[in-house]
Formats: sequence, structure tokens, C-alpha cells
Amino acid sequence: MELQKFSYDNKIVKQFAYATMLWGLVGMLVGLIAALQLFIPALNFDLPYTSFGRLRPIHTNAVIFAFVGNGIFMGVYYSLQRLLKARMFSDFLSAIHFWGWQLIIVLAALSLALGYTTGKEYAELEWPIDILITLIWVVFGWNMFGTIIRRRERHLYVAIWFYIATLVTVAMLHIVNSIEIPVSLTKSYSWYAGVQDALVQWWYGHNAVAFFLTTPYLGLMYYFIPKAANRPVYSYRLSIIHFWALIFLYIWAGPHHLLYTSVPDWAQSLGVVFSVMLIAPSWGGMINGLLTLRGVWDKVREDIVLKFMVVAVTAYGMATFEGPMLSLKSVNAIAHFTDWIVAHVHVGALGWNGFLTFGILYYLIPKMFNTRLYSNKLANLHFWIGTLGILLYAVPMYWAGFMQSSMWKDFTPEGQLKWQFLDTVTKMIPFYAARAVGGTLYLTGVIIMTYNLIKTVKMGSFTANEETEAMALSGEYHSHAKDHWHRWIERKPIQFMIVSLVVVAIGGVIEFVPAFLVKSNIPTISSVKPYTPLELEGRDIYVREGCYTCHSQMIRPFRSETARYGEYSKAGEFVYDHPFQWGSKRTGPDLAREGGKYPDSWHYNHMLEPNSMSPGSIMPTYSWLLDDDFQASGIGAKIRAMQTLGVPYPEGYDKIAEADMMKQAEQIAASLKKDGIETDAQKEIVAVIAYLQRLGKDIKNADQTLTTK
Amino acid sequence: MKYMSNTKWLFLMMMAPVFGWAQQSQSAGSTYFSNALFNTLMVVIIMLLILVIVLSNSIRNIIQSDYFKERYKKMREMQSGKNLMVLFLVLFASQVQAQTAVAADSRIGGLDQFTFYFLLSIILLEVIVVILLFNILRTYTKNELSVVMQPDAQAAPAKPERTIMDVFNASVEIEKEEEIMLDHDYDGIKELDNNLPPWWKYGFYLTILVGVVYLIHYHVTGTGDLQVAEYNKEVAKAKLEVEEFMRTSANNVDETSVKYLTASTDLDAGSKIFVANCVACHGKAGEGNTVGPNLTDNYWLHGGSIVDIFKTVKYGWPDKGMKSWKEDFSPMQIAQVASYIKSLVGSNPPNAKAAQGDLFNEGAAPAPADSTQTGATTAPADSLQKK
Repeated sequence: MELQKFSYDNKIVKQFAYATMLWGLVGMLVGLIAALQLFIPALNFDLPYTSFGRLRPIHTNAVIFAFVGNGIFMGVYYSLQRLLKARMFSDFLSAIHFWGWQLIIVLAALSLALGYTTGKEYAELEWPIDILITLIWVVFGWNMFGTIIRRRERHLYVAIWFYIATLVTVAMLHIVNSIEIPVSLTKSYSWYAGVQDALVQWWYGHNAVAFFLTTPYLGLMYYFIPKAANRPVYSYRLSIIHFWALIFLYIWAGPHHLLYTSVPDWAQSLGVVFSVMLIAPSWGGMINGLLTLRGVWDKVREDIVLKFMVVAVTAYGMATFEGPMLSLKSVNAIAHFTDWIVAHVHVGALGWNGFLTFGILYYLIPKMFNTRLYSNKLANLHFWIGTLGILLYAVPMYWAGFMQSSMWKDFTPEGQLKWQFLDTVTKMIPFYAARAVGGTLYLTGVIIMTYNLIKTVKMGSFTANEETEAMALSGEYHSHAKDHWHRWIERKPIQFMIVSLVVVAIGGVIEFVPAFLVKSNIPTISSVKPYTPLELEGRDIYVREGCYTCHSQMIRPFRSETARYGEYSKAGEFVYDHPFQWGSKRTGPDLAREGGKYPDSWHYNHMLEPNSMSPGSIMPTYSWLLDDDFQASGIGAKIRAMQTLGVPYPEGYDKIAEADMMKQAEQIAASLKKDGIETDAQKEIVAVIAYLQRLGKDIKNADQTLTTK
Repeated sequence: MKYMSNTKWLFLMMMAPVFGWAQQSQSAGSTYFSNALFNTLMVVIIMLLILVIVLSNSIRNIIQSDYFKERYKKMREMQSGKNLMVLFLVLFASQVQAQTAVAADSRIGGLDQFTFYFLLSIILLEVIVVILLFNILRTYTKNELSVVMQPDAQAAPAKPERTIMDVFNASVEIEKEEEIMLDHDYDGIKELDNNLPPWWKYGFYLTILVGVVYLIHYHVTGTGDLQVAEYNKEVAKAKLEVEEFMRTSANNVDETSVKYLTASTDLDAGSKIFVANCVACHGKAGEGNTVGPNLTDNYWLHGGSIVDIFKTVKYGWPDKGMKSWKEDFSPMQIAQVASYIKSLVGSNPPNAKAAQGDLFNEGAAPAPADSTQTGATTAPADSLQKK
């Protein structure tokens, strides 16, 4: 054993820290604009690039993958080196990782603004970017495992367990959910359809929360809380149990996003029970974090870093208790599709991810710049303004969500719905405004922090390479007699990775295999036919404009929904939907049975000026649909892609699809003309109308009795 | 230990009514679980039960700590014996009370009175137990403190402070931490090996148990309603309620009984509905626009009698873009808006759309072809929606 001298790479940490701040500001600003659009529709600017349907995915992607993503890498690159007593494996890989990730972010923002989207929430990026993400993720993993192999610390600390679980699970989720068939460089169709696509998507969506927003941050918590508090971690035993339980159980809970939908009952029930079982493992992390602070609570009152972290961990505890509650069917029946869910998500995002990131930044920047924080006062102001912002954001949204849901479900004694959908929308306006105030406060806090940290950076001098020394590991390990059994796997990173991959794979496999292989899970309906070429084109435009961010296409089996929208949705109706478009939020009404509800001219006028047909509507205008032509020539490739995915268009249909498409377009143009609207059949609006008028028609027209068991 | 057996007793006592209830209501079990009030009460009961378990565990932890074993043994036995006596009394009293209430058949929040009061008394009981346990716990921790404070107390070595939180979590005192400090050191981070907090551990077991019971309830024994069954019940129940209401309500008009309403109150009500819902497609004054036809001339696409207009509004003409409004408005409201529309005929607003459909003649009988068509197209659509 020899004492080795080496240095920690702080430069990469600094880069990720700066990127975290920058993208945090951008992502939250976009979020604020989107929040304002909900009560000031003029802020959509009548431009495709800035309409809500495109901004909302930019906001979610920016805060998740740009802000939190860079935050993860900042914390991991800092703590990993120190926990392993080793410099990052390769500075070159670190640089590729950093610049590659920023490139992905820029491409993502641009492509989403341009309307290139797969239409699957939190996985909207098109296939070339998906591939880039995969490559950069591999670089990250390679760099991380290279460092682990070269470590000077025998055992892996609990933070690193979480990093490894994050690495393997995110890779698995991203690859499985992004399987799609490219039509062009900027367009692809999900490999899965309807119910299966929904299962895969929410397995991904739920576990993106678990393994991108939770596990890496738990890892960071396990490093930064004990460091900042200078206290030992509360319980090693608790770490072991809550870690393995958490990663095993989390994977199963995805279907709780799909309760009371066309997903088979057994899958829904699994989603419910695994969510309930998740309470304790999630809280295990919170307990271990908070109890680590035993004995130093007086310090928490003083220390700004600990203050932020305590609120973060508490918010984590609240969100992870609320999650299982929302997974109970009776609660879900009320909360789903409402702003309650938006509130829930933001308690997690603003509280847990945001505040932990701020705590880490306040800890790291002065340390790496060998100075103190520029202003404790400003940091305190940030803390209070941020906390207030979270409250002002969450409380109105909880209230509003509950209120709107109750209005949706209200019947008069005569058995009629008490409220038109629009009535419930106009009631939301003050709540949307209050929420925006909360968001503004929170963003203001972040601006204050950025200023404070820039000042701190200017005061200090940066150590790019922090010199240190440690003993090399000797080849043989002689275990102590009383070693905990878990110590074995802590010495074996590769085994650790494999075991964690197996543990996280189990839930997904058990849920997917029957859903894909057992026919009875998705009873076929013979009257459901593939989309016509024009409808398919209209559907692509629907996806492009992000209509799913405000409109669901899933009528749940409740009296209040079937009365409002018609027969509840059946699994067999979605078999040609690549991707599914069930949505997760009803800012506007459900569209699953929109077909035939209004004349073509209604839709035409409504897209041009929603307020003319629905006075008081907050939907943005879509005037460009009236001006732009759809690409009729590209339909052949789309039909061929659909055929590859198993959609039963007749052999050679791709050759005549274009002619069929124009024929239907002419019919719609003629119907519009009858109502005094002159339009060219080639306009995008015609395709959109074709699609909207098709929605839900298949079983409406069916003679057969529906299987209602 | 005697204390343990007492607690077990206590739990059995508390569970007994639950078991009793379960047996009673086996056949009706699924209806209970679909009742929101019932579920809420059950959740409260379970939460309180957890609290009771945690508290009694904490007390046990204290009692078992070497010092208190000796000192409080006698005193505690006497005390908790008394407490338990009180509990017995309360329990039995509440049971008797609940049973006397069976006879009444009025319902509370959809639950029969018996079940409601039964659950309520369990909750009350649990609250009392929690308060008692909490008091006991506080007394013990306080005593422990006072021992530390008194320098001349029983020659005990200075006893470290244990907070209620420590007791809850079964943590080792901070001063004794060295005993459970592991030899781990990661960049200066050390790890303790504290016990799993008992409330956390048993809470975890409980959620697993809940999960298993849930799956059995819905998928093995089939006692729980899956979503389609639940939906069918919901709709059937609502249908009965509406029928019951309509039987006694003056609101009950349909296409066989609708009359042209000319009272100004009715026309005003109809006008309000028209402005809020119809003007987008039919214009502010009913003159028609690019979407819907003119309603002010006497030409009608689907008939101009009050019965025809009523039916058009009620069932819609989905193929032509007129939606059905029967889920949105009561029959009376539909009659009012239909009457208002009929009152518009001949009002000659500006920008009126060209006439569509046939001239309506009040005296003549409605065209037979038209009326059969209406019946044929609306009936199946109606039944489809109801299913």
C-alpha cells in the first residue's frame, strides 16, 4: 500500500453547475409563460412556436433533463470522485458528456418548438435525439464505472448505489420506451399502440420520476446532508433496506397513471398496491436524511445549505406520501386529469429537486472557489421567497383541481350535468393567476440565487484541480469477521450493477409480457378500422401541436364522463394509435368521441378563433393550420411505416393513399363551402378536421352490442 | 411481561368489532367498500391503530430499558390496569349503544346507522387509547428527565436525555452513538447503525398486507367491484334516483307532452340558455351563421313544431353537427329553450342566413317520413349511450 497523490476534477463540476443555473432559469421562465398563457391566451402570440402545446413540453423537458439533469451530473461528478478517492476516469469523456448533454438540450428545445415530437410525455424527443441521448448516457456510464474501477475506497457508499441504479434504469427506460419506427429524420411512430403504448409510456413516465428525479437526488442527499451537517448517516441498515425496496417497488407502480382507463384491471391493481407499498421505502430516505440531522437542529436554523435541504427532504416526504394516496382508486377518480396532479408534481419538482439543487449549489460554489457565500441575507431571502412561491403555487392548484373535478361530476336532481365544460374552465382563471404569482416568486428566488452565486464566483479563486492523496487499494481484501452481509456487494460494482438491473427489470417484465401476449387483455372490436390517409395526416398534426397537453382521449367509466362525452373508452378502440394520445390533463374537454359532435365549419371557426365558438375559452388560436399546406406526398412512407407496425392497410395501399387522401380532403372542403367557408383542400386544417371528425366514430357507428361485461 | 399481554388484549378487543362487522356484512361487503364515508372511516381507524401500535411499542421500549424495568414495574402495572378497566367499560358501553341503534333504518352518508356508529365508536375508542398512551409516554419521558435533573437520584449514572422522537424511532441516544458507529468512512462521512424505526418497519409490513388483501379482494375472491361493474352500479343507482325524483317533479316533460311555453318567465329562461349555448352556431339573434341554420325564418331542416324543436335539441342531429343536449339540460329547460327558439320565428334579424329546409305550416300534421326517421336514428344512439 502506498500513499498516492492525485487531484479531483472541479472544472467539470463547475461547468455542470453553471449549466444547471442557466437551464434552471430558462426552464422555469418557459414554465411561467405557459402558466400565464392559461389565463392570458394572447401570450400564445398566435405563433406555432410559442403556443401552449409546444411550450409545455419544452418546459417539462427543460426542467427535468436540463435543470435537474445537469444538477445530477454536477452533484455526481463532485461526490463520486470524493467518495471513491479517485479523479474522474477520463477528462475527455467528462467533456464529451458535458457538451453532448448541452447539445441534446439545445436540439430538444429547437425541435420541440418546431413541432418535432413523438407525442409521448417526457419522451417527446424525436429518434435522432433519442440516439444521441443513448450515446451520451453510455459515455456517462463508462466514465462513472471507469472511476469506480480505479477507486481507492474498497466499498461503495450508499450514494453510489443510487447512482448505479439510476444509470442502469434510465438506460433501460429510455431504450424500451423510445422504440419507434422512423418515417423521416424528424418523424417517427411509436412501436407500440394504444393500451400497450400507454403501459410502456407510463412505466417510463413514472420511473423517469423515480430514477431521474428521485434516486440520483437521494444519492446526492446521502452525500451532501452528512457533509453539510457534519453528522454521521443515521442508519446503515435503513439505507440498505430502503434502497433495494425502493428500486424494486417503484418500477411496478406505473399503471397508477392509468387507473379507470382501458388498461386491464389486473395491471391497474398492481399499480395501486405497489404504490401503497412504496410509502415506506420512500420515507426511509426521508427519515435517514432528517434523522442524520439529529443533534444539529440548531445549526439548521443558521445554515442556509441545510435549510434548503431540510425543506427539500420534507417536500420529498410529502410528495411520496401524496403519490400513493393519489393511487387509491377513490382519490384518483377525483384527482386524475385535474390540476391537483400538477400541484403534486410541483411539490416534488420545486420542493425536492429545486431546493436540494439550490442547497448543493450554495454548498459547492463557495467551496470550489475557496471563499464564502457573497450574501447570506440574499440566500435567506431566496429561501423564504422560494418557500412562499411553492405554497402559493401548490395551494391554489390543489383547490382548483378539487373544485373543477367536483364540477365535472355534478349532476342536477333531474339527472343532467350541472356544468358545461366551459363553465368549469372559466372558474379556473383566478386559480391559474394565483399559481402564476407563486411561480413568479419562485423564479425570482432563482434569479436572486444566480446573482448571489455570480458575486461569490467573482470574489473567489477557482481550484480546477483539487490536490489530494489517498492510499492505493491493496489487491486482497480480508473481511472483518463481523462484516454486514451487504458489504460483499458493496465491494463488487459490476455485480452491483447486474443485480440492480435484475431487480428493476422484474416489475416491467411481469406487467408487459401478459399485456403484449395475452389477447384477452385487449378485446378486438371489429368495427374499428385504420385511419384514412387524411385522418392519419391530421393525427400527426394533432401530435405536432401538442393537443394532448390539454385534451385527453380517454373516457373513464364514470357516469359523469359517459354523460358528458359518450360511451366509455374500450381497449380495442386504440389498436391503431401509434402513439396513444390519452393525455394526462384536461384543461380542455376530452376528445375521444369528438367525431360528429360539431359540423366541419364549427371546427374551422374554432381553430381560427376558439372564442367565437366557445365564448370564454382559453384555447390558443391555430390560424396557421388554415394557411399551411399538408405534405400529401409524404403519406406513402407513413402508410408503409404503419404497415410495418402491423396496421392492416391493403398491400400496395401506399401507392394510392395520396389519391384517397385528396379525395377525402375535397369532400371536407366541399362541406365547408356549403357553410360559406372557402378553403383549399390542401390546407392542414382539412386534415385536422378529418381526424377530429373520426374520433370515436368507429364504435358509435357499430351495430353490434358493445361488450360491457 | 404482563404489560405485553395487556396490549395484546387491547388489540384483540379493538379488532373484535371489526371482525364482527366483517362477518355480518360478508354479502354486502362490496357495497360497503364503494361507500366513501365507510372508506374514510376505515382509513382513520387503521391510521389510529398504527398510532396505537407505535405508541405502545415506544412505551415498551422505555419500560424495557434497564432502569425503568425496576423502578416502574409495580406502579405501571397498577396504573395501566386501571386504564384498561376504563377502556373495557368504554368499549362495552359503546357496543351496547351501537346495538340499540340498529332498529332505525335512516342512513348516514350512505351507511346504515349501525355501521356508522360502530365505526365511529371504534374511532372514539382509538382516540381515547391514543391520548392515554401518549400521556403515559409523556409521564415516562418526563420522569426520565427529572431523574437526570436530580443530582441525588438513586445513584444512577447520569442518564442521557431521550426525547419522544428518539423513543418513537427507537434511536440510540446521541451520546451513546459511538456504540453503533460503523467503521465506514467515505470522504469523512461516517455511518451509524440505528434500528429501523419501529413505526416505519411495521408501517411497511402493513402496506404489504394491505397490498395482498387488496389483490385478493379484487382478483381472487372477487368481492371487490372492478371498474365496469362499479360503473354499471353507479349508472343504475343514478337512474333509480332520477326516476324517483322525476316522479314527484313538475319538471317531467318529454316529446309526448311538451307544449309551447309562452309565459315570459319561461321565455326568459330559454333566452338565457340560448345566449350561453346556442349563439356560437346560430348567431346572437338566431339569424344563423357559417355553422348553424337560421332559426328566425319559418323554414326548418327538422321540423318547426314545438315537438320537433324539442326533439332536435334533446337528441341532436349528430350527423349534421347538432349535438344532443339532453345530458346538459333538464327536460323543462329544453322545453324553455325550444319555446324561445319558436318565439324567434318572424323576428327578421339583420344578416339572416338564407332559408334551409321546408316551410313549416303549423296547422298541417308533421310529415310522416320525417317523424319515422327521427325515431329510427335517435333511438339506437340513445340506447348506446345509456349502456
